[in-house]
Amino acid sequence: MKMFNMFFDIKKEEQWLNEQLQKGYRCTNISGLGIYTFEKTDNRYVMRLDYQDYLPKKKFKEYKAIYDDFGWVHIVGYRLGGKQYWQKEEDNQNEIFSDRQSKGNYYKRLMGYSFWLGMLCLFFSYSIYKDSGLYLTEGLWSMKGSLFWKALLFETPFVLLRSLPVLMVVFFGSSFYRAYRKYSMLKEK
Amino acid sequence: MKHKLLPLSETMHYILLALREPLHGYAVMQKIEKISNGTVILAAGTLYGAIENLNKHGWIESVGNSGRRKIYMITVEGSAILKMEQERLLHILSLYGRDESNEDV
Repeated sequence: MKMFNMFFDIKKEEQWLNEQLQKGYRCTNISGLGIYTFEKTDNRYVMRLDYQDYLPKKKFKEYKAIYDDFGWVHIVGYRLGGKQYWQKEEDNQNEIFSDRQSKGNYYKRLMGYSFWLGMLCLFFSYSIYKDSGLYLTEGLWSMKGSLFWKALLFETPFVLLRSLPVLMVVFFGSSFYRAYRKYSMLKEK
Repeated sequence: MKHKLLPLSETMHYILLALREPLHGYAVMQKIEKISNGTVILAAGTLYGAIENLNKHGWIESVGNSGRRKIYMITVEGSAILKMEQERLLHILSLYGRDESNEDV
């Protein structure tokens, strides 16, 4: 079974994945374009998403070896940095973090991830809009009557497409904020 | 200023104690489960992060490989940290025995 989905928030993605697994599936592959492949299974699986920055080859091997020893199967994840998808059969140890300090560090890494992606989108937005407004049709605002409405209707879908980077800034901004809230809660006590 | 890992967290404390003998990651977890009477069971990400952190600060070091697993052991510096923590905890323990009501405040 293949499913398409798009997430700007790692915790939400993890939650959605586990909902699928609870229905009796097991994840076999995830492509970069948001296509998740599942397979029917009689066993119950859990999935946990870690985030790691760039790791040298040896470090990445060691990282994977330790998780592997604990029974986690690496579904996808690159050593150049990014989300690491781990899956294992459900038992009495289903978490990848067992203390406050490591959970705090995890949310700190998530903050960095959202922050840099948000910045990237902000940069894109800036380079798209700096020379023009959102609507590109010349003289659009001085058109009259039905011509104006037709032109406006025609162009609006393109405008929505062009404002995608700004929307993404907002999405990444809010996931940054959520990670920050969790991080500061763990740090405080 | 105090070192950012001090006072040691329960996780870090147990790892340093366990690594007074050379062990690989998973064996560290198993040993800790045993010596803590089953009260501390480390998860994979926590163990990986803690080993990274302790290694970065030079309190443990890699002393070899067993297949694809890396074997770690405490360093002289790490042992000094344990000594310091022992003294701190002994002092706190000594306060438990003292009867507060007899003391002049």
